[in-house]
Amino acid sequence: MSAELLNVLFAFQPDAPALKQKVQYDKAARQFVQQVSNIAPQHFSKGADTPQDVFELLDPTTNSIAYIYALLARIGTATDGFKLSKGISDQVRPGGSLWNRMVIFVDSFDPIQIRYAGNAWRRLLDEVDKIARLTGMAALAISPIRSALLRLDPASGTFTLTHLHFIRLCMETRSYVAALPILDNYIHTIPGQLPQIVLTELEYSVPGADHTNSGEYIHHKSGHSDKVNILDVQEYYLLGAMAYIGLRQFKKAKEFLEHVLISPTSNVANGYMLEAYKKWVLCSCLALGGVKSIPRTVNGPALKQMRAVSKAYDALGQAFVQLGNLPKLRAQINAGKDLWLEDGNTGLVNELRDQQYRFYVSRLSRTFSAIPVSNIASNLGGSAEELTAYLEKEIKDGHQNAVLEQTDQGVVLRFFLNPTEGPLAKSEKQQQQALFEQTQRTNTLADEVKSADYRLSLTREYMEHLRRASKKMSAAGVTEAMDTTWDDGGEAEEDIMGDMH
Amino acid sequence: MASNVEHSPFFQQQKAKGAIVVKDPPKFDLESYISNYDGFTRLERLHHIGSSSTYLAVDTYHMAISEAKRGKKTKLYTTLAEELAQIAPGDPASLTDTAWVEKKNRDLKIEHDKLDHELRTYKNNLIKESIRMGNEDLGHFCFASGNYGDAYKAYQRMREHCTSNKHISDMTLRLVYVSIAQKQWLAVQSHLVKVDSSQQQKPEDKAKLDPIVSSCHGLAQMSAGNFREAATYFISTHPSYMQLEVVAGIAWQREVLTANDVAVYGGLCALASMDRSELQNQVLANTDFRNFLELEPHIRRAITLFCNSKYSACLEILEGYRTDYLLDVYLSRVLSAIYNKIRTKSIVQYFIPFSCVTLDEMAKKFQLTPEYGTIEDELEDMINSGVLDARIDLVDRLLISPPTNPRYEVLTEALTMAEEYDHTLRLRLTRLNMQHTGLEVRPEKSGGKEGILSGGEGGLGASLRGFSSRMGFS
Repeated sequence: MSAELLNVLFAFQPDAPALKQKVQYDKAARQFVQQVSNIAPQHFSKGADTPQDVFELLDPTTNSIAYIYALLARIGTATDGFKLSKGISDQVRPGGSLWNRMVIFVDSFDPIQIRYAGNAWRRLLDEVDKIARLTGMAALAISPIRSALLRLDPASGTFTLTHLHFIRLCMETRSYVAALPILDNYIHTIPGQLPQIVLTELEYSVPGADHTNSGEYIHHKSGHSDKVNILDVQEYYLLGAMAYIGLRQFKKAKEFLEHVLISPTSNVANGYMLEAYKKWVLCSCLALGGVKSIPRTVNGPALKQMRAVSKAYDALGQAFVQLGNLPKLRAQINAGKDLWLEDGNTGLVNELRDQQYRFYVSRLSRTFSAIPVSNIASNLGGSAEELTAYLEKEIKDGHQNAVLEQTDQGVVLRFFLNPTEGPLAKSEKQQQQALFEQTQRTNTLADEVKSADYRLSLTREYMEHLRRASKKMSAAGVTEAMDTTWDDGGEAEEDIMGDMH
Repeated sequence: MASNVEHSPFFQQQKAKGAIVVKDPPKFDLESYISNYDGFTRLERLHHIGSSSTYLAVDTYHMAISEAKRGKKTKLYTTLAEELAQIAPGDPASLTDTAWVEKKNRDLKIEHDKLDHELRTYKNNLIKESIRMGNEDLGHFCFASGNYGDAYKAYQRMREHCTSNKHISDMTLRLVYVSIAQKQWLAVQSHLVKVDSSQQQKPEDKAKLDPIVSSCHGLAQMSAGNFREAATYFISTHPSYMQLEVVAGIAWQREVLTANDVAVYGGLCALASMDRSELQNQVLANTDFRNFLELEPHIRRAITLFCNSKYSACLEILEGYRTDYLLDVYLSRVLSAIYNKIRTKSIVQYFIPFSCVTLDEMAKKFQLTPEYGTIEDELEDMINSGVLDARIDLVDRLLISPPTNPRYEVLTEALTMAEEYDHTLRLRLTRLNMQHTGLEVRPEKSGGKEGILSGGEGGLGASLRGFSSRMGFS
């Protein structure tokens, strides 16, 4: 390890007093990335596995930029020329020394520095993805990629292609639960163009500044993601929805699918939207007990096209709500067997069949306060014992607010009429807590909207509009420009939960 | 005899068609009932009773056939004779008098040609009044021979030749009359509105027309299933309707609705659509409508009982007259809807003051109708359709009024609403972001519409299939 190289690698000290100013920091970081990325890979390999190893000298947190390039160079050397899994050296295999260093790194890097090394960050994660797949241990890549995403942006709210690769990996390995930490975060930004001046010259908007919104340091020039196109975003949401379906969180799945359906379109639907629509119909049934209205922002002609080719699904949705005619759904499911199989929706359709009972029982709770299980059994067809077992499970799983009682008329299902009683009762305190949490979520969302508004205000179109507007106004003799800021100033929101802070 | 009639092919067919077939003898006497009516409605009512009541079928058909032979409706005569042949084969009246039909048809043709010819001459002479009268004569003739469509057209052609207000109102009333005969209730309503709006004439004319307008409006609304509106029109009908002179050549209280009909229709519609205080104030305390109600005392008794919360007695009275009303040509179609409404309303009203009633008590208070096997089934249906807010306890056999918890409901509602808005906002923001970065689904230029939908699917479909087959629950 040459001293010269070390000098270069240690040249950037993020805590140095000279870099207190964000603009200075920004400049230095940029320069440093430039320098490090130009170092030839063989320099990093010198003294490997000795105390002079570059990894021993660099600290992953303070020297994140240098460290990530070193990692990349070493992985590159180790996998160089080998494309097949047997050719991959033990070092980079999961469990190997380089792999372990990478795992430590993604858990401990300095997110601010990595904002500048977007390109390296993406390449590293691509490598991780590739190696894990080649070695047949794809599931092992999930955790490092997730850590890297969350470390860079704790809210993982700016869409990158890594998001997509991550969810693909999760789906292929059926690791639905592992995908949740990312899926549960709302994608509030899709990386786009930001003017140069904002990125390099303003103290509060350079990537190194304290941003609340990751959209301001992850954009199309930061290197964290390749160019995103609409299919990538749609695929992410579609796969995400399927992960939720796998976890039987149908409400969330439905909401994810709606993100696909509302894609801006010039009056056509694409294959993803069609898939999403079919699944949306099924998920709506499972989540809400019937197909409710579709979001209004869905493009009308596109919706018509989707409906035209999904008639079978719409019919299923209609049959599902006919709780007085249970065999109808069964018959329809049977009739469309091949179709569901071809669309890959058989599992979901079968779920529909199984869950119709739940909605049937829920409806009973709106009519009856107590009903012998044998009565229900004679309506549904089937033995009372089976049904009792089923109901017991339903109550235990928290789907029905009821109890089973043993009386001289046999087992009786008794519903709780008052929502504050029974196993599913919610106290007022819990409700308030839920409301409070919702308020916080909404406030976060409001910040994200503000930030989106800010980004929109930087676009050329908006500038053009402003220019024209001001021209018009000066022509009309109005001097003061219209205030188009979103915020109406101060803490104007009504704080309904004030007493809970 | 009666059982023969009941099993005759005609009634089997009626049953198969889902038409109403009544077996029980009605309370009224056919002779005196039908003597209240004149004009087209007489034959129509006879036909309705004959084809609905197995008890009266043969007698009624005899009356109807002899009545039809006196008129010009050859087609109706043939139908009647054929139907009777199916009910009572071998009955002398069931043999179609083909000679009469042929002769009558010939006569009708000659008369029609004559009127047509006259009209043409008038048209050539360009005398407005003559043309109007020519059209009117043709209309009368077509109406009498049962050709309502042509009658309607002929009356409508009078429009441009009307010279006075009276002509216009007569013509419109004629159109109302034809529309009633055709059972075109929307047309009835629109023409009635015209009668109303064309009334710039003298107050005495207005007094003459108003009862006709309101009773016909009521009939049209009732037949369209709008019982509340129907009730309002019927109860505002002026008692002068009973002694009305002939207007536009029609004796309305004999040829359309009798005063008894107004009382029955109005009373039933009011019972079906109004609550207790409204019934008390607007129906029982209504001096105009009281005159009608006096003609049908049992209707007044039913309303009084309902107002006094004696629901079961009220329903009993109405049940007693079910057969009669089913044989009424206009009421039969809507009767079950009206009765059901009254019944459900009674049950809801009855239950309001209680928090808990035993099912047996309910069954005792409300006699079961043939539609439901048990009172539970009926209550279940009512609850499911949202009419009755209650829960059934099948174990202790109770009907329970559910406890309310407004605080809980408000909080839940607030939370759901907040979540919904939150989600909507997220969707909008996603869309905005996509638009901002120029992401949009565009039609592929090379492929057609088909290409777009199947475009990305080859690879995608395959990969999705792979996933779901591996999903836990396939």
